[in-house]
Amino acid sequence: MDQHRVTITFTLNGKSVTMDVPGAMNALTLIRERLKLKGTKEGCGIGECGACTILVEGRAVNACLMLAAQLDGRDVQTVEGLAHEEGLSLLQESFVKHHAVQCGFCTPGLLMSAKALLAENPCPDKAAIAQAISGNICRCTGYQQIFDSIRHATGAPTGEEKT
Amino acid sequence: MKDFAYVRPKNLVEALSFLHEYGHDTKIIAGGTDVVVDLRAGVIKPEYLLDVSRLAELKGIQLRSDGLWVGAGVTLSEIFSSEVLECHAPALKKCAATFASKQIRNVATIGGNVAHCSPCADTIPPLVIHDADVVLASINGIRQLPLEHVVSGPYTCALPDQEIIMGFILKPAAVTHADFQKIGRRKALATARISMSYMARKDFRGKISFFRFSLGACTPTPRQWPMVEELLAGKVPTENLIWKAARLLSEKMIEITGRRSSTVYKEPAIQGLFVKMLYPMV
Ligand SMILES: Cc1cc2nc3c(=O)[nH]c(=O)nc-3n(C[C@H](O)[C@H](O)[C@H](O)COP(=O)(O)OP(=O)(O)OC[C@H]3O[C@@H](n4cnc5c(N)ncnc54)[C@H](O)[C@@H]3O)c2cc1C
Ligand code: FES
Ligand code: FES
Repeated sequence: MDQHRVTITFTLNGKSVTMDVPGAMNALTLIRERLKLKGTKEGCGIGECGACTILVEGRAVNACLMLAAQLDGRDVQTVEGLAHEEGLSLLQESFVKHHAVQCGFCTPGLLMSAKALLAENPCPDKAAIAQAISGNICRCTGYQQIFDSIRHATGAPTGEEKT
Repeated sequence: MKDFAYVRPKNLVEALSFLHEYGHDTKIIAGGTDVVVDLRAGVIKPEYLLDVSRLAELKGIQLRSDGLWVGAGVTLSEIFSSEVLECHAPALKKCAATFASKQIRNVATIGGNVAHCSPCADTIPPLVIHDADVVLASINGIRQLPLEHVVSGPYTCALPDQEIIMGFILKPAAVTHADFQKIGRRKALATARISMSYMARKDFRGKISFFRFSLGACTPTPRQWPMVEELLAGKVPTENLIWKAARLLSEKMIEITGRRSSTVYKEPAIQGLFVKMLYPMV
């Protein structure tokens, strides 16, 4: 067997996938180039921008810093897994409604960071949101709209501002 | 990236046998947050990458008879949410709060942080104040060394390539005050970066009955600061006293590093950060 290739099996957005990958391939290249899921973006490639954020076992991680081989046996979610057949998820709807998307390059990563946060804490305050998305850079919005989208995403009471 | 073989051992023994044979051509990978960056930049070119991130022997945070055990494979997120650390090593827990980003904390390990031997590794000052020992395993057995012996210089780790860090043994401490503080961004301002950590106990008379302090990133290797600790021990913490200790600290730091162009910035920054960190004791 070619030592430089590894056979991996993992769950991608609910479906089981098995494939051969080079040992040196990172998870981001696997997702974008092999699986052709282009939602996950490459910004910096070195862990600083969060555009490549995916969920592994429900936790937000940078796909650019993870090897494809390290996905073996894991549950993996990308932004493509958020919408249902009936349409966008509540979180995505909230991003649209609160104008949190301008160029959109940061959006998939932010959605995934927000999804991980909301699973842990359905009513996050501003500080909790800031903690969760500090690894996601957005050059367009100035973040306020993103905070609003995440805070209102679960349909929790919206009127009072908890800062 | 150069091609390499990815190897994921099922248990520690398998990992150690692999290192025994191929250690020289192998790079260990845990969370990969340093290794993948270095591979991409071509700084390292291993034949094999040995993934230790799933080894059960490197996991867990527990109070044991020989001290507080923190496995090398424990992630910064696990440190951040640990109740055992909240009780027995609060400064270590605190350093995880400001460590990189959520995405990085979810995979980055304490073992990787120490083994990378960056002078600005955030877990080192808290480990130093707890007199941490490093537990190392090789095919020949297990040995235990003081942290200062392993982190022997900037980016040089005194680890033979057949060894794996299994974990750390800290002296647990019941304290009334503990903190970790840092200034500066990791990459953009690496030379201006300062980190520090302390823990202390105030007795019923308001005197400092126990005090431990460590400075990170400013000196080539981690160290203890006995003169600063001695100055504060047994005294009632006042603003004046803390400033005096801060001036002593920056004086001693300059004795070690010599005056450099960055000293103009570092001297007041160290003093200011130290006073800010200790002020809650006043
Ligand atoms: C964007 C970004 C921000 C960062 N911010 C911070 C920060 O705020 N503070 C900070 O301190 N660091 C920071 N880092 C550095 C890095 O995240 C940490 O050093 C991290 O703790 C490394 O752990 P890891 O598990 O990812 O190590 P890896 O990258 O997997 O390995 C690091 C080194 O340790 C060795 N190693 C790993 N595990 C073992 C073991 N069990 N035994 C022997 N050797 C081992 C590897 O061979 C390698 O040399 C940052 C990195 C990035 C990319
Ligand atoms: S591309 Fe992964 S963090 Fe920027
Ligand atoms: S919308 Fe453009 S980077 Fe965030």
